[in-house]
Formats: sequence, C-alpha cells, structure tokens
Amino acid sequence: MSADTKMATAGTAAVHNPIVIDEKLCIRCNLCDWICPGDIIYKIENDKTTMPEVVYPDECWYCGLCQSICPTEAITIVFPDVMINNKSDVVRLLGKIVD
Amino acid sequence: MTDWRTIDTDLLVIGGGVAGSMLAIPALEAGLDVTICEKGRVLDNCGSVGCGVDHYLTVMESGAEWDTAEFLMKHIPTLTDGIVDLDVTRRVLEEMPRILRKIEDMGVDFKDPRTGEYSRHPSFGLPGAYHINFEGTDFKRRIGKHVRAGKATLLMRTMALQLLVEDNVCYGALAFCFRTGEWVAVRAKAIAVTTGDVNRLSMNASGLAFDSWHFPFNTGDAQAMGYKVGAQLANMEFTEATLTPKGFSAQGLNALVSMGAYFLNKTGERFMFRYDKKGENARRAVLADAVVNEYLLGNGPIYVDCRHLPAEELDHMEATLQVDRYTLPAFYQQKGVHFRDTPIEVSISELTIRRSGLYFRGSGLSVDTTGETSVEALFSAGDCATVSGGIAGAAVLGHIAGEGAVQRIRQRGNAALPEIDWEDANRLRAGAEASLTRDSDLGWKAYEDEIRSTVTDYAGVRRTGKGLKLALETLQALAKKEDTVKTDNLHGVMRFQEARNIRLNAEIMTTAALARTETRTRSAHRRLDYPETDEANWRKFVIVEKGGDGVPTVRTLDATQPLSAAFARTPNAAAGRIEHVS
Ligand SMILES: Cc1cc2nc3c(=O)[nH]c(=O)nc-3n(C[C@H](O)[C@H](O)[C@H](O)COP(=O)(O)OP(=O)(O)OC[C@H]3O[C@@H](n4cnc5c(N)ncnc54)[C@H](O)[C@@H]3O)c2cc1C
Ligand code: SF4
Ligand code: SF4
Repeated sequence: MSADTKMATAGTAAVHNPIVIDEKLCIRCNLCDWICPGDIIYKIENDKTTMPEVVYPDECWYCGLCQSICPTEAITIVFPDVMINNKSDVVRLLGKIVD
Repeated sequence: MTDWRTIDTDLLVIGGGVAGSMLAIPALEAGLDVTICEKGRVLDNCGSVGCGVDHYLTVMESGAEWDTAEFLMKHIPTLTDGIVDLDVTRRVLEEMPRILRKIEDMGVDFKDPRTGEYSRHPSFGLPGAYHINFEGTDFKRRIGKHVRAGKATLLMRTMALQLLVEDNVCYGALAFCFRTGEWVAVRAKAIAVTTGDVNRLSMNASGLAFDSWHFPFNTGDAQAMGYKVGAQLANMEFTEATLTPKGFSAQGLNALVSMGAYFLNKTGERFMFRYDKKGENARRAVLADAVVNEYLLGNGPIYVDCRHLPAEELDHMEATLQVDRYTLPAFYQQKGVHFRDTPIEVSISELTIRRSGLYFRGSGLSVDTTGETSVEALFSAGDCATVSGGIAGAAVLGHIAGEGAVQRIRQRGNAALPEIDWEDANRLRAGAEASLTRDSDLGWKAYEDEIRSTVTDYAGVRRTGKGLKLALETLQALAKKEDTVKTDNLHGVMRFQEARNIRLNAEIMTTAALARTETRTRSAHRRLDYPETDEANWRKFVIVEKGGDGVPTVRTLDATQPLSAAFARTPNAAAGRIEHVS
C-alpha cells in the first residue's frame, strides 16, 4: 500500500464515537441493539441497570436507524470531522496509471 | 452431529432484505415450510432499505403509451448499452403491475398524500415517468410484517457461509450465529441467495470503510458462496459509483438532481450538457462519469446547486431529505451548510458491484426466467442477481423466484435430501474459528484495507491491462494470507468472512474486467488501453465460473442469448468460448 492511500484508510485515525447516548433519557429498552444492521450496539437483555454500549464505533454506517427507533430520543448521531469537514483530494480516488 | 443445530425445511432463504422477503411470500402462501437466515436482528428493518425509500420504478399499465412492459422493453437494449438478459428482463417488466398491487395490498401507500395520486417522474434517462416518488419509510416494514405473519422460521444474526451442493443440485447451507456462536446446518428442497450487492470494495473521500453509499453489511456473500459451488456469474466487470455530498457517502443527491438541481464546476460552469444532451437528467452512469472527468480535467471541486429552484420545491426537498437517508439533515446541519443558499460540494462515492448505474443489467449470479441459477434448486434475486433494478427489481424478481422455488420444491417432492458431509462441515467451521486463536498481527481490518486500496488504485474507474494484472496478483496473494488473519471474537469472525467474500468478488471482478477488452458504460468499465466501445466484438456477456484450478475462468456469450443458454443444466447449452485469463 502506498503512503497516500494508507493515510485515507479506516482504522488509522483515532476512533470516533458516532452514537452518543444520553444516560438520563435511556430507558434500557434494547431496541437500538436489536435494530442496528451492523451489530454495532450491544445491550445486555432484560437488565435495566446497564446501558447500551457502542462496541464497534468504526463500523457504523451512520444510517440513524438506532436514533429513529429510540423511544426516548436518547440517541444523537455525531459525524466525525473527516466527514463534515472533508478535505481529501477526490482525484486520488480515481486510480493510478501503471506504465 | 451433536453441537450443530440441524433444520430440514422446504425453502431456505439467505438474506431477508427486499428480494429475500418477497421470495418467501409465494412459498408461505403455498403452505410450505420456510426458513430465513439473516445477518440482522429485526426482519422488518433488515437490509439496505430498513430506514426507508423514496422511489419505486414500475410499469403500471395506466393507459399512457409508455406505461407498458412492451414499450419499455423496446428501449431496454439502449438503456443497458446492449448487454442485458432480455428474457429475464421481459419477465420482470411483465410482472411489475401485479407485484406493485401485491405490495399495496400489504399496506404500502405509493400515493402522494397531498394529491391522492401516484407522483410519477421521468428520471435516469428512462423513456417515461416510470418512477413513483413516495414516502416509503415503512416500505420494508410492511413487507417484513407480512412475512412474519406467514410464520417463517427466522435465524437472525446468522451469517450463511457455505452452500451444500451435490451433482449441481443445491440442498442446503451452513451458517453461524455471531452473537451466540451456534452453528446451523439447514437442508432444504430449494435455496435462495438474496444477500445484495458488494460493498466495502474501494475507497471514498472520508476513507471510512463503513461510510458507504450502499449497505456496507452486504459483502457479496451470495456471489462468493455461489461461485464456490460452481454457479455462473455474469456482468461482474461492471461497477457502480454515485455522486455524494463530499465526506458522507449518502444517497440524497439524486432527489435534488431529479427536481432540477444543476451541477457546477469550480469555474461555475454548468457542464453536464457537454456530456449528454439531457444534461443533469442523464443516466446515473453518465452523471458520475462526467464528474469523474471534470475532476481529472482539474475542474474540481464540483458542486450541486439548488439556488435557482422555486421556494415550494425547496420546501418539499427539505421536508423529504431524510426519506432516502435518515441522517442527511443532521449531516448538513453539523456541517453548517444549507442547499437553499449554498452549492453542495460533491465527491464520487466508493464503488459497488450491483448494476453499473443502469436499470436491469445486474451483476452477480446468472438466473433464468424463474430466478433459478445455473445450479439446480438454487435461486437468486435482488442486487446479487443478473437482472436487478432497485427495490422494484428486487421485489419483482424476488417474487418470481419465490414462485419458481415453489415449483422446484413440488417437483422434488418427498425424495430424500443428501446427507450432510459432517467432515466437510466441521472443516469449514474449524477454519472459520481458527482465526480466534491465531497468534498474528494481521487483523481483518488491515486485510480488508488492502483489498480497497488495490481496487481503488488498479481496478477502479480507470483500468488498464497492466493495472488489472497487478491488481489480480495482489488479490490472489492476499488470498494466501487468509490463514494468517487473527480475530478477537465472534463478531470479528463474521467480519473476516465478509472480508474474504469481498476479496473473492474483487478477484472475480478484476478477472472479468481483464477479459473485456473494450470500454462500456463509461466509468462502469473504462479501459484506458481500449477506450472505445467495440460493438463488433463485445456485444457479449462475460461469464465467470470457478475453474478446475480454483481460479476464476471466463467465457463469453452473445448478448442476444439469455444467460441460461450457457447453463450446464440447460439442454443444448451454448458452450461459449473458454478463455483462461489468469
Ligand atoms: C439508503 C438506501 C436507500 C435506497 N433507496 C432506494 C429507493 O428509494 N428506491 C430504489 O429502488 N432503491 C433504493 N435503494 C436500493 C435498494 O435498496 C436495493 O436495490 C434493494 O434493497 C436490493 O434488495 P436486496 O434484497 O437485493 O438487498 P437488501 O435489501 O440489502 O437485502 C440483503 C440482505 O441480506 C442480508 N445478508 C447479507 N449477507 C448475508 C449472509 N451471508 N447471510 C445472511 N444474510 C445476509 C443483509 O443483512 C440484508 O438484510 C436504496 C439503497 C440504500 C442503501
Ligand atoms: S433505544 Fe434508546 S432507550 Fe432504548 S436502550 Fe437504546 S438508547 Fe436506551
Ligand atoms: S447509525 Fe446505523 S449502523 Fe450506526 S449504530 Fe446506529 S443503527 Fe447501527
């Protein structure tokens, strides 16, 4: 892998947490765990003492299903800087020519 | 086998998205026993469109001249650049009105509540207003609910890993649940693979692997599983990219463009008319290609501009922005821009293998007019099959394949299914679990990153023979490293199996791209060393199958023929020309 492509690949930057859950609002209902298509959020079932945990933050699709299903609006989706303030060079995505 | 859960069923559906759910319905209606294996947990929201949809492409037979299967069929060769399975497409178009009504009966409301009418629009270069724009938040929910009411057995958070095939007849699959670690062996009289498109294949602006335009949890599992048991794949050389707000690989620009937004380059020029007389209303492949070209010409950044649109259109856009991608309003808000008064900077998305930006020419498992693949009793539909077209294509071919499966199940009757070879099954299982105890520095993420950078650099939107060969070598070398990848838990085992499937799909794609020595459908398959479309020699399908040495082997088939003409199980199968490209 060349240095410039390596820079842009996942896993090299500090892991950003996409799903912020408000502990005061969360009623520990498990829905966010159940609905997430990516197996990202884990919540111990039938246990009102534990919070859902975002176990695989760097595998989030930013689809918002968890937020949309949450009955108490406890979830906020927070985009990382690399998404909202993206400065990458699009031309780099268009391939290299081999001579 | 003591620690395998075993299930015998009539129909096993792998992938409970749009196609898989619709496929289950005819079997449930026929009173058959149906088992659905799905990576998600809640069927009502599984798959690409769990959050909602906003358009549905259909023929309705409303009385308008263009609104018939026959009319659209005449335009299909042009719309697909001459390469499409005409027989299967015809069947899909003919079934469209019936399936639309069936979905309406499940409670999906396709009408615009403001007018009580269908809001139909011409888009993506189609020769009529075939798209219904609608508020489809509960589209998948209604279909899922209908399936659940039919009492299918659901294997959730369960990933299928291998199909069971004897003498080119499928009889089941092996799967594992990544939350409990339970391994399941299912035997069935018919099996359907409906696991969607291939994602996490190349890089995008954010560089985040799971920030993708399409569903990042669809990783070409059907294509990989089918390939391994000898099923035929076609159109795998064609990729698809879209235009996204830069930094977020999301849908949402299409809606703006179909409502009349302009594309501007850095000089403020509205450049689309240089590429297509339809301007911004051109097919998706043309739009993406034009933007690629503008970036290469140094005319980037590229923007989508809505400022000229009437206020009521902008209000409507704002109100519906979240329908196709729920989080798009939050993205714009956190970014601090608004399309009412700011042009939005766009990027080209990562690639997906699906249907090259065209309707009906799908990339994936070849199917006949009943949705059956080249392997008997193995069916496919949706974004992993050779005829597809969004949710409608998935729903219609899914339903057709469901009816085909019912026929096949009846034909198989009560004949005993083959016994599972437990030695083989345990070998697969031990192989998957071995990554858990391995002492190695190579994790699945680093392994997968290497696939993406290889595809981006050498097999993406600008291809050459030399580049593709280099990509193929790199991808094949990566296969040899699979035995050294380490995972930490069951979730990691699942992700690593996905990564392996992505790699295999990339290898198949690269092999097919190397064989097609022409350019077709613009950046869906652009060979810089063969920049022209070669109608004389290449109006052909590139078919890929597993060769005797395990390496992908290529055949070609004249595109006037249906792909099933090259199925070994079809009487008088057309052999096609065999080319070893490795
Ligand atoms: C956000 C978004 C919006 C869209 N909006 C529209 C729209 O408005 N109109 C339109 O026409 N199209 C739209 N599309 C495209 C459309 O979603 C797809 O074309 C359609 O869903 C394809 O259906 P499918 O059944 O093939 O795949 P999916 O619906 O994605 O289903 C595939 C299923 O297979 C499961 N799966 C994958 N691998 C395995 C495995 N190994 N074992 C078990 N299960 C597995 C997945 O979890 C998934 O549930 C949209 C796509 C996205 C991502
Ligand atoms: S859905 Fe909301 S309330 Fe329920 S567990 Fe998740 S965050 Fe808490
Ligand atoms: S945004 Fe989507 S992928 Fe991310 S945690 Fe929520 S449901 Fe899962």
